[in-house]
Amino acid sequence: MSDNKPSDGSATTHFGYKQVPVESKHKHVAGVFHSVASKYDMMNDLMSLGTHRVLKQYLLELSSVRKGQKVLDLAGGTGDITKLLSKNVGPEGKVMLCDINDSMLSVGRDRLLDDGFAGNIHYVQANGEVLPFEDGFFDCVTIGYGIRNFTDKSKALIELLRVLRPGGRLLILEFSKPQTEFVSKAYDLYAKSWPIVGKLVAGDSESYQYLNESIRMHPDQDTFKTMMEDAGFEKVEYFNLLGGVSAIHRGFKF
Amino acid sequence: MFDKKLLEILVCPVSKAKLDYVAEKNELICYASGLAYPIRDDIPVMLEDEARQITVEEKEARKKR
Repeated sequence: MSDNKPSDGSATTHFGYKQVPVESKHKHVAGVFHSVASKYDMMNDLMSLGTHRVLKQYLLELSSVRKGQKVLDLAGGTGDITKLLSKNVGPEGKVMLCDINDSMLSVGRDRLLDDGFAGNIHYVQANGEVLPFEDGFFDCVTIGYGIRNFTDKSKALIELLRVLRPGGRLLILEFSKPQTEFVSKAYDLYAKSWPIVGKLVAGDSESYQYLNESIRMHPDQDTFKTMMEDAGFEKVEYFNLLGGVSAIHRGFKF
Repeated sequence: MFDKKLLEILVCPVSKAKLDYVAEKNELICYASGLAYPIRDDIPVMLEDEARQITVEEKEARKKR
């Protein structure tokens, strides 16, 4: 994977199918999310036909987050997972909604406040590769459809291990590799419509073309499992969803 | 309003040291890394790229306290 090599000034990484300098990938990704922030939730519902909500609920079940726990929702964007977590940890717990992108974060906060979620949620703009939290602070970290946009995934995984307490767990929901030829073909065909829908609904086809390309560039289930193990996570396993269109990876810190 | 409870949780992403909240400037300052992080729209921006280098005077002022 080209995105896991250290930057030597000339190094490039993938931004969808394009190669861009490692130093500037975050700016390209930021451009996408500034552009889509206001329509992000509606587009998710449309493109996933509502299934993303079910998958996020499943992520929550696999997290076994309990009352009073402290959870980091990293790259939490518009706050879907934070909402679910906030109910689970209750008033004694804490959810930290963290995103590198200020547009996504303000849309998320406004939406959560509008829906009456407050008190146990904090908002912080930060980069997943260099987190502003103490060692061992969190019981759980979740990332929903965010990790594929990270410039250096391995560095982020090591940082996530650092902020987890012993016994803490990381759950990553991400697009993954369809497990059968049929699912793969059907999905390819369906995904071709996204830039068109993006153009019609959000007035932006390029961002949704990037979505398509970034999904295909993301490591498959086993490769990503190995990356988590290499970072130091234990008991790593993954759960295929919708025939591998998405997958949840879970790993523990001991 | 900046949520002061966050001060118990946040550290400088660069030095991992504790931060001081400076109300007049609405910033979170790390004296270890010499960086001041802005708070925009009540959300702390904990990104090195967005932080300001603190001045020698600011460092001195801290010592006198």
